[in-house]
Amino acid sequence: MSLNNSAQNNANDVYDKEDRRISRTDMNMLIMNYLVTEGFKEAALKFQQEAGLQEPALCSSLDERIMIREAVQSGRIPEAIAMVNALHPELLDNDRYLYFHLQQLQLLELIRAGRAEEALAFASATLAEAGANDSNALTELERSLALLAFPDPHASPFADLLLPSHSQKIASELNAAILKMENQEYTNPKLCSLLRMILWSQSELDKHNIKYPKMTDLANATIEQPK
Amino acid sequence: MQQLTVFMDIESSRSYIDELYSSDSGKLVEALVTLKNSVIGSNRQKSSVIQQGVVPRLLQLMSDDTLDPNIRLEATITIGSLAKGTAENVTSLVEQGTATALVELLKTVPVDTKLAEAGLCALRSVFLHPPAPISALPADMRLLTRLTQIAREGSPNSRACVVRILSIWCGGAREQEALCAAGACAALAQALAPGPTRSDAPPPARALPALDLLAAMCFENANVSQVALNTRHGDKTIPELLTALVSRDKPLPVAMGAARCLTFIHRAGALPADDNRVVFGALPCLARLCTKEIPEDIRASAAETLAYLAEVDTSLQRLAAISNHLMSSLADIVNCPSAAAKQGAFKCFASLGANDEDIRKRIIETHGLMVHIVNGMNNPEPSVRLAAVRCLHSLSRSVQQLRTTFQDHAVWRPLMQLLSESPGTELLTVGSSTLCNLLLEFSPAKEPMLDQGAVEMLCNLTKRPEAALRLNGIWALMNMAFQAEQKVKQRILCCLGTEQMFRLLGDSDTRVIMKTLGLLRNLLSTRQHIDAIMSEYCSQVMQAVIVVLEGSYPAEVKEQALCILGNIGDGEKAKDLIMANEDVLRKLVDYLAHPESKLQEAALFVAGNLVWRGEAGAAARQARLAELGVLRALKLLRARQDAAHLHDKVKTALAQFNEFT
Repeated sequence: MSLNNSAQNNANDVYDKEDRRISRTDMNMLIMNYLVTEGFKEAALKFQQEAGLQEPALCSSLDERIMIREAVQSGRIPEAIAMVNALHPELLDNDRYLYFHLQQLQLLELIRAGRAEEALAFASATLAEAGANDSNALTELERSLALLAFPDPHASPFADLLLPSHSQKIASELNAAILKMENQEYTNPKLCSLLRMILWSQSELDKHNIKYPKMTDLANATIEQPK
Repeated sequence: MQQLTVFMDIESSRSYIDELYSSDSGKLVEALVTLKNSVIGSNRQKSSVIQQGVVPRLLQLMSDDTLDPNIRLEATITIGSLAKGTAENVTSLVEQGTATALVELLKTVPVDTKLAEAGLCALRSVFLHPPAPISALPADMRLLTRLTQIAREGSPNSRACVVRILSIWCGGAREQEALCAAGACAALAQALAPGPTRSDAPPPARALPALDLLAAMCFENANVSQVALNTRHGDKTIPELLTALVSRDKPLPVAMGAARCLTFIHRAGALPADDNRVVFGALPCLARLCTKEIPEDIRASAAETLAYLAEVDTSLQRLAAISNHLMSSLADIVNCPSAAAKQGAFKCFASLGANDEDIRKRIIETHGLMVHIVNGMNNPEPSVRLAAVRCLHSLSRSVQQLRTTFQDHAVWRPLMQLLSESPGTELLTVGSSTLCNLLLEFSPAKEPMLDQGAVEMLCNLTKRPEAALRLNGIWALMNMAFQAEQKVKQRILCCLGTEQMFRLLGDSDTRVIMKTLGLLRNLLSTRQHIDAIMSEYCSQVMQAVIVVLEGSYPAEVKEQALCILGNIGDGEKAKDLIMANEDVLRKLVDYLAHPESKLQEAALFVAGNLVWRGEAGAAARQARLAELGVLRALKLLRARQDAAHLHDKVKTALAQFNEFT
């Protein structure tokens, strides 16, 4: 079916054709893959029970990865680092930028707690080394320290660093690095790849000025008809 | 347990450093873990810990097999982290015996333990810092068998470590043979095989070190390459596994490594140049990896590997030249900033143009290449200068280029400059070969090069201990003397000196002797020059000829000497010098009857020049030659059936003797 024809049809007609039916098993596998890769172990086991799936193939480090993620997201950075070092001693030596990000979280914890002097001492004693070797790290370090200049860091232009989403981002970065170290084929959930592929396809279509039903909101899968 | 903290500078580390010497194993483990967590990720901490002198204690804890395995493990991991520090850190570790201690550890510890894995990781980190402590790992069969066993059966990480270490270690024929005997080929076939589901390619972390080790083992080693050719994993041989890895869907470094292995196996003689795995596997993959879309470091090694693949085989050169816009890809690589890229591209151009005039023409026509070659010869990086000269050398085989493009760009100028700056032997060898070509008679570069002191430089080359350099020196002088003006010839003779000429006539390399005689022959051409040179160097030249004619030289050398004699016989006054030398004349009679046809012909050339009628004193010379038996020898030659092809010349010579026949 060519694009020109499809544009005249109702979106549902196009997507709900018999030959495009997606099996429930495939959907369940994608969801399970997301839960396992991201380290949601309990959710994965519950989902397995409710959906009546086979025992999920949990990789050996899942428990450790869950504990590491929890530690990072709750600000217990030294503990997280010690756990990573016990699990994969070479990881943080090989990826100094990731190590910097963990230390940066530690710094942000001190700033969040209002311990400005300690934060400065910590930055000069440990983070300065990474800042001197990597211009990206230096910029990020400057942004973090700039928080100290504001009476209320949460109201500053750099407040994004103190949001939970920032530590979640670093936790995912660390999780992916661990999976890569263990030679896992996909370090990102396959759902992520699928959504990225939609975005890529749409941008290719846009480049060629082709009219098509476009997904404008990924979270709700809203599809808009071409004007 | 001590509170964990990442904020651990030198001052606050005092206490746990002390605990490293504690006899309480609990405290000891705790101190080791704290130390480990403080050094991982920070070069500053690593340097400070090494400076505090902790390394010997760590090595001791690691090596003591009476201790708790956990203590040994944490100590080994800490050593491993220190080995990921700066180059100075690693040097310091090696000086304190770390590499040897790690090898000793690997000899005894069970292969499937975490301790073995940590030891391998640490040793890999040490080896990754050049210069790797190669000697710490002896070519001991028991040890190598153990290591190849780990490469087959260890954890994925242990396998990758062991293979990486061996790929750096394997630097010569001895190591290649030892690894091959220890069964490394089978382990590599296994590492390069697809995963259990068949469609899975081997992950790069496993494949890349394996490809490097395979390349290191096969490089210039016919025996090991042959073993690799026949080693199977499942139903696939190593070349078949490699062919699967050069395809477009594989990660670029994997495809690059696989193409390099196929190249090395081919060049070591195990795969012929027309094998499909070379022609449709390695070659197109390398040409593809040279294109613009590929990252610079990969393009650089692809160009260099392609240069090696096509270095000698004309059919591969022709095929590469028409592959995937290779010429324009290479021209673009020359423009890349890195020395490795420039060097690879120049080498590749040199290989492609080695034999085929059409390809050379296309290379020269590549936009702006000559300018890049000239710039390359002035590059601060020695490897780039060498590669640029190699490229120039390859292109200098083209007569047409010598007359046109080379002249337009005055390439001799930077070349002479390079050669006069006391370059390394390799550059000197390629550079002087290029000079040989530039000095061919028709090359317009000859004159300006003389002014730059080319004669003096070449004469010095003939005094070098390396045969290749002596050959290039004397060869270039020979080319320079060909149809040269008399002042040039005088300058050569004067600068080289007769003593050096005699030394070269006694050279161990026959090619040097041939070119020395060739030089003499070129010096002694045209009547006017012959007389002028002989008036000054008569006795030395005659002596040189006699030395060769009397010595045990191969026929082609003697032929050269007779040709020189023939040239002398063409001189007006110089004729008398031969006539006055009875030894030489008797030799002439002998050679007219020599079983070797080319020596008969050369002797006939001499006799013909001496008996020529119509020149002053011809009658007297004829009488003398008849008296010494030359006439009789000529008549005998005419009668010989096997000399039928010379009969016309013999008749002409005999016709000169009309009074005697």
